[in-house]
Amino acid sequence: MEIAFAHLDERTAKFVLSGATPAFANVLRRAMISEVPTLAIEDVRIYDNTSVLFDEILAHRLGLIPLKTDLSCYGPREGCGCGGAGCPVCTATYTLSVEGPRTVYSSDLIPQDPNAAPAEENIPIVELGEDQKVVLEAQAVIGTGKEHAKWQPTVACGYKNYPAIRIDENCDGCGMCIDECPRGVLAADSGSVKVVEGRLESCSLCRLCERACLASGIGNEPAIHIDTEEGRFIFVVESDGSMPVSEIIERALQYVQKRSDDLVEVVNEITGEVAE
Amino acid sequence: MIPVRCFTCGKVISTAWEEFKERRDAGEDPKEVLDDLGLERYCCRRMLLTHKEVVEDLFPYQ
Ligand code: SF4
Ligand code: SF4
Ligand SMILES: [Zn+2]
Ligand SMILES: [Zn+2]
Repeated sequence: MEIAFAHLDERTAKFVLSGATPAFANVLRRAMISEVPTLAIEDVRIYDNTSVLFDEILAHRLGLIPLKTDLSCYGPREGCGCGGAGCPVCTATYTLSVEGPRTVYSSDLIPQDPNAAPAEENIPIVELGEDQKVVLEAQAVIGTGKEHAKWQPTVACGYKNYPAIRIDENCDGCGMCIDECPRGVLAADSGSVKVVEGRLESCSLCRLCERACLASGIGNEPAIHIDTEEGRFIFVVESDGSMPVSEIIERALQYVQKRSDDLVEVVNEITGEVAE
Repeated sequence: MIPVRCFTCGKVISTAWEEFKERRDAGEDPKEVLDDLGLERYCCRRMLLTHKEVVEDLFPYQ
């Protein structure tokens, strides 16, 4: 199995995974989305809220704010030494106190731990009018996307099969497929067509080119064939800012490895018992 | 209030709202503003395109 990065920065990654089964590609995708833990606001104590939003909506909006998460500092509340009461190892605390008229932004959330500050500063939380006021305290805990989408570290996260485009000898270069392709993958090439250099990965496998070719009256079989390469997948992963994408990918892979090791152990145990 | 994130993909789009609104009201083509703001997917683009702000109308009824 091999991973080749085409693009990697703090927020987005694009890579090709090769030598993997479709099942593994999906396991990796699901692990990135729902098994890598992050911080998100879970409990809100509202002291004063005279804004036009109900307390519940306010709390919901707070929950959706991505928070920078350093997993070497925070752990899940379940099984924490404090017994679930909340301590600096399992809980990040924030205070917010704003009087109108003005808009409350995520930067008005004052974190006790600056390393767990909101990942974006300009998220509008609520707009306050004259004499309106919001005073509250919020607690963020570690969770996973499996439980609630607010704990997902990824935003868009998915993959597609690697395209393989084959053009037959009998192509007459009519150009119908070039005009039809919505992704600009194809170009004319001395009486035939070719894949534009560097555009192959943009192909969405929509097969509009095949249909256009048939419609051009070439016969019963199109001269262009869209196929997929077995065991190769193009991934796009975006982070919500809680942690770098590279960390999300790494932690997801560690999770997959741990789960499969656990499975082997359990299976060994079961078969061991049967043999006795 | 503009939703914090895109309903579909989860990207934080609320940060783009104020600039989008300003520039759209100034007569710019929404398509160009959205391109400028780096909103690539159509799920995120419709969040801004279809939003109507009503909080100010509610102020008298706090
Ligand atoms: S399958 Fe669709 S995107 Fe790919 S080359 Fe054909 S028309 Fe273009
Ligand atoms: S539509 Fe078919 S025949 Fe025409 S250029 Fe494309 S592949 Fe060749
Ligand atoms: Zn604790
Ligand atoms: Zn979106």
